[in-house]
Amino acid sequence: MKRVIVLVVLVLIAVVSSVITPLVISIEVPRYLKDLSRYYIINTIKDTASPEAVAAIVWDYRGLDTVYETLVLYLAIVGGLTIFMYTGELARKTPVGLTLLSRTATKIITVLISTVSAAIAFHGHLTPGGGFPGGSALAVATMLIIPVFSINTLLEKGVTSTKLVAIRGVSLTGLGLVALLPVIRGLEIVTNQRFYPGYLDGFILSGSISLYNLLEFLAVASGFTAVALYLSIPEEYYKGGDNA
Amino acid sequence: MIITLILLIASLILSIVFVYMAITERDLLKATAFSAGQSICYATILQAMGAADIAMTYVAVSAGLYSAILVFVISKTERFEEVSSE
Repeated sequence: MKRVIVLVVLVLIAVVSSVITPLVISIEVPRYLKDLSRYYIINTIKDTASPEAVAAIVWDYRGLDTVYETLVLYLAIVGGLTIFMYTGELARKTPVGLTLLSRTATKIITVLISTVSAAIAFHGHLTPGGGFPGGSALAVATMLIIPVFSINTLLEKGVTSTKLVAIRGVSLTGLGLVALLPVIRGLEIVTNQRFYPGYLDGFILSGSISLYNLLEFLAVASGFTAVALYLSIPEEYYKGGDNA
Repeated sequence: MIITLILLIASLILSIVFVYMAITERDLLKATAFSAGQSICYATILQAMGAADIAMTYVAVSAGLYSAILVFVISKTERFEEVSSE
């Protein structure tokens, strides 16, 4: 009861302050663009062949920053996986999942999440989104499968953490190669339009941006799925090894 | 413009409710669900302010991955928080 009273008081304070604030302070909408944002809006499509200014800034104008950011995430996940490293064999118990109702719902939702995540990642150079949100969404789908269907379902389908780490390594190597390849022709590292084609037979490719998004999607999805697989190993396996 | 403001204010107030419920809840699974609700409120705010890229990443990480990892952590400990009475 005390909880409800505190909550009501909190909401009342918030409502009153949100009513009073516009009366005291006049809210002004900016009417002019700054020079920097005007530059990006006008020149993005010409410089990078991408209509999405955010993706262009992230992977082209400030591309080197993002490559290093990906490296930081890679090291963080590899460090985490090293701590949770488990080399033994997981005992195949009979799968313990949830009821038929939640299984069916999860089947439908998983297909939907995978489709949406692929759309987010592969249209990352055209619409808001990109490799990282798409990969995280796909990882959520697998994190949903583990509690509902049990971890053995994933392992029997061949989704093992060794393979996932391998996919992650391959896609990150590809990402590094995409960034490094322009150096061969004497261009700067992370060059986009002067090395990669912007358009292919009428389709907008935006040069390296779509490649980066695809590889980042694979890397993030496999990395987070591997973390989820390691987290779902019961602690008894780490302690004694009697059950293993 | 006015719709955006109303959406902002409604999401902010709803997020206060979710945060308070998450902090005072003793069932940690329910607290995780409230935390995810707060994340969705913040994502609505970001979308209302026109930052669609950030909103998408925020939903995937904060409502999806963060909640899932918290559920894994809760499964390794106890579900109900013990509160020492005075």
